[in-house]
Amino acid sequence: MDLFLQFLTNGLVVGVFYALSALGLTLIFGLMRVVNFAHGEFYMLGGVVGWFVTTYLGLDFFSGLVLVALAIGSFGWLVDRFLIERVRGQGEEPGILLTIGLSIFLVNITLLAIGPAPLKVARAITEGPIFLGPVTITKMRLLAMVIGIALIVGAHAIIHRTRLGSAMRATFQDPMAASLAGIRTKQVYAATFALGCTLSALSGMLLASIYSAQASVGGLVSLKSFVVVILGGMGSFPGAIAGGLLLGVAEALWGGYVATGMVDIIGFLLVILILVLRPQGLFSIRAERA
Amino acid sequence: MYRYVLGCALAAGVAASGIAASGSANAQDSVKIGLVEPLTGSVAYNGKSVVEGAKLAVEQINAKGGVLGKPVELVIEDGQCAPANSVNAVEKLVQKDKVAVLVGAFCSSATAAIMPVAAKYKIPLVTGVSSSAALTEQNNPWFFRAAETDALMAKAFAKILANDLKLKSVAYVGVNDDWGRGGVEEFSRDLSALGVKTALTEYFDHGSTDFFTLLTKLRAAKPDGIFVAAETQDGSILVKQLQEMGVQSKVFGVGSWATADFINLTGDAAEGIYAAVPYVSSVDTPRNNEFVKAYEAKYKVKPGKYGAAGYNALNITAQAIAQAGSTDAEAIRTALGKTDYKAPNGEYRFTAKGQAYGFDAVLVRIEGGTPKVVASSPVEAPQ
Amino acid sequence: MTLERNILLGLGVLAALLPFAITDQYVLHLAIMAIFYAILANSLNLVVGYVGEFSLGHTAFLGTGAYTAALLSVNAGWPMWAAVPAAGVVAALFGLAIGAITLRLQGPYFVIVTLSFAEVLRIVANNWIAVTNGPMGLAGVGQGGVSDKSAFLAIVLGLAALTFYLSYRFVYSNAGRAAVAVRENRYVAQSIGVNPFGTAMQAFVLGAFLAGLAGGFYAFYISFVGPEVFRFAFMATIIIMVLMGGKGTLLGPVVGAVIVTLLEEYLRELQELRLSLFGLIVMAIVLFLPNGLMGFVARRREQRGDAPSLSPAIEERTV
Repeated sequence: MDLFLQFLTNGLVVGVFYALSALGLTLIFGLMRVVNFAHGEFYMLGGVVGWFVTTYLGLDFFSGLVLVALAIGSFGWLVDRFLIERVRGQGEEPGILLTIGLSIFLVNITLLAIGPAPLKVARAITEGPIFLGPVTITKMRLLAMVIGIALIVGAHAIIHRTRLGSAMRATFQDPMAASLAGIRTKQVYAATFALGCTLSALSGMLLASIYSAQASVGGLVSLKSFVVVILGGMGSFPGAIAGGLLLGVAEALWGGYVATGMVDIIGFLLVILILVLRPQGLFSIRAERA
Repeated sequence: MYRYVLGCALAAGVAASGIAASGSANAQDSVKIGLVEPLTGSVAYNGKSVVEGAKLAVEQINAKGGVLGKPVELVIEDGQCAPANSVNAVEKLVQKDKVAVLVGAFCSSATAAIMPVAAKYKIPLVTGVSSSAALTEQNNPWFFRAAETDALMAKAFAKILANDLKLKSVAYVGVNDDWGRGGVEEFSRDLSALGVKTALTEYFDHGSTDFFTLLTKLRAAKPDGIFVAAETQDGSILVKQLQEMGVQSKVFGVGSWATADFINLTGDAAEGIYAAVPYVSSVDTPRNNEFVKAYEAKYKVKPGKYGAAGYNALNITAQAIAQAGSTDAEAIRTALGKTDYKAPNGEYRFTAKGQAYGFDAVLVRIEGGTPKVVASSPVEAPQ
Repeated sequence: MTLERNILLGLGVLAALLPFAITDQYVLHLAIMAIFYAILANSLNLVVGYVGEFSLGHTAFLGTGAYTAALLSVNAGWPMWAAVPAAGVVAALFGLAIGAITLRLQGPYFVIVTLSFAEVLRIVANNWIAVTNGPMGLAGVGQGGVSDKSAFLAIVLGLAALTFYLSYRFVYSNAGRAAVAVRENRYVAQSIGVNPFGTAMQAFVLGAFLAGLAGGFYAFYISFVGPEVFRFAFMATIIIMVLMGGKGTLLGPVVGAVIVTLLEEYLRELQELRLSLFGLIVMAIVLFLPNGLMGFVARRREQRGDAPSLSPAIEERTV
């Protein structure tokens, strides 16, 4: 029982991390329908830029986080305006190829700039285990969970409480009608993409401070994030969170009671099962959009 | 229509002749050694260290006048640790650059794929890293391994570890690839033979970041010691999380742990762990001090096991070419078989199967942020 | 249609002359790899270009083919002529099973579910030590058999000829036209009695079979098979070839395969910059040649008022 509680806790913590890294993708892939294979690279850039600003500019963790958000957000905006915009409305293929190209470019240019070594990102608080009955957790993980939940709530608020948010929702429901209603849809698309990139960069820096930052981490993050988004349902915020938690807990239990060597298989098996049984995902409100 | 057929034909012809022409243009005014290492992808970090060591070796050789009166030229190609890409790289090195000797292919899978190519072209192949025991069992006469195998490491240190750490049960954790599995298997076999119980065996995928689930199982198994086979990235995160989970067992293992990068990444969690490595920079011998000084002057960091591996592999190769007195492949192969190379970490010789022995492997303990040598033992020739 | 066939025939004749024309083993190796990739790209193109669904799981068939051939060779001592067709058949069976599940889905769902299948197979190959030898892989495939490069070139050319013959027959058969109809407008196609699932399935299984053949050849040529045959990096290369050359044409993937293979080798000169530049080139292709090189050629021909475009379908796809 004690073991089960610990597995469950581990799974929930990792689940929040998964949800966090997938949040950005649920905007970009779920709403904008860009199958963004460079998603993991924005996550990676978050960690690397975070390492740079905390190590070389001497910023503390939280100011670093703000700077990372600004830097990667504007970068994401530019990527959308100059690249993604030109293939919008042409189906998945050009977007896939474009983002694969972008991801190859970003990984290797980062490799060129900072080398392949794993980097240590300064932590926000000192480390130390906390024992809650039979369950062990660390302060940094608790903090990361809190920040993660705050980001999730914040992103949700942006989409549901602000003018930009309503413009976004209008644009993704019917771009034509939205632009007729005076919404500058190009700006909305770019803002959404930038927001998605910012979220993944923030999670990248947050998690890099717990693990480490490295140029080559992106690929796995992209794949896992796709799994989470599909599990939760395309474009659904609560879905992404539920998908992340589901994946985290399922992996922890599989790793705990079966074998840790094959733990990555769980996510993909779940995706296949869910797409076959319930293609709209666990929490999506509407089915396939025309 | 025919214009297009013609156009295609022309384009293909130009492309083919372009490659052929650029290949034959090089004159033989240097001795070329081809190096295939992963420079991109997830093991690029280690591959880069091998290249650094190799470059240093070449620099030193050329400063002393090169070999055969000509400078040594190192041609480096990215094999990406993948069999197909490494074969591409070797074909290019052999056919286009006309290298005399091949060094490399970091990962055992990539090395296994280029071994038949080297044999076909009759080019000696020296690896400084690939540790899979199966490689030297293929009886490929052109293949030489200037590195330890996990079996040799286990044989050298299993007894010392079992006695010094008073081990009664050990949990084995390894990265899920040929190297990690090999390490776990060899150490668990030798330790079991000494009466140490196996508490748990688990593998994790390269690039994993969260080990809490694995560690929860491990903590519940309550072993005296934990054997870990992991490289810098995975290993540092794992050791850090061991501390975060409050696991008290003694940690020992194989991997490039005796480096400043590892200790920096791991922080004080690295304190007190043991690592069995073929090379550590803190061995106090004149040859090693000289090597460490040169390496540090060039790269601002002390060499780790991969830097030393690249350095040694290149020196062994260059020495064999000098011994052979020409770049004739057969002569170099014979010379490689008779290698007697004085490395920073002992002396390298090869068995008939091409397995190196005679160099010193060391067991280090990380104390106060530096690796301290606990035991040192020359690697014996396998029977 | 005849133009495409003639160019393919011309290329085939040209390629058949290669073993006599080339003595340089490195160029020979590149030619073999380019043709191997052409087979792969063509097999993927049957799904991407003619069914119009974007499969990211094509390495599943490449990998099962490679493993089948390697296992048959290493464990049962099968020679190449028997193991490679067997690889194709096993891959086709996998195609049947995977297609039955995945082809019910469309758009991004299809993309991710096919990718998931390839990943599941990779993880199984990496952990099922008893059969696949796990991460240690299977070494020494086809030892003692063919080892001469010219012979390998002849074999891969034979496979390529078979590939293009089968693809050609499929594309210009009723099933192929039905597939294009589905691609262009699923609902209209259905209304005239085309069964989208059935036609897609045919293309999918044929693609799987051809990829399996390519995988079998790969196993014998490289002589080593490990779990990385299922990796996404492999998949990305094949996709880049198909889209760079121009999907929905038979010639496009060939052009893409040759260009990408040569490009990757030429860029070696640039050392560290190589892959960054490669990424940039891929992005530039998407932005400036949205229908690939064949689309570009087709458009140029139309502007000049030449014969009808290579494949009318590419033009329509720009909408």
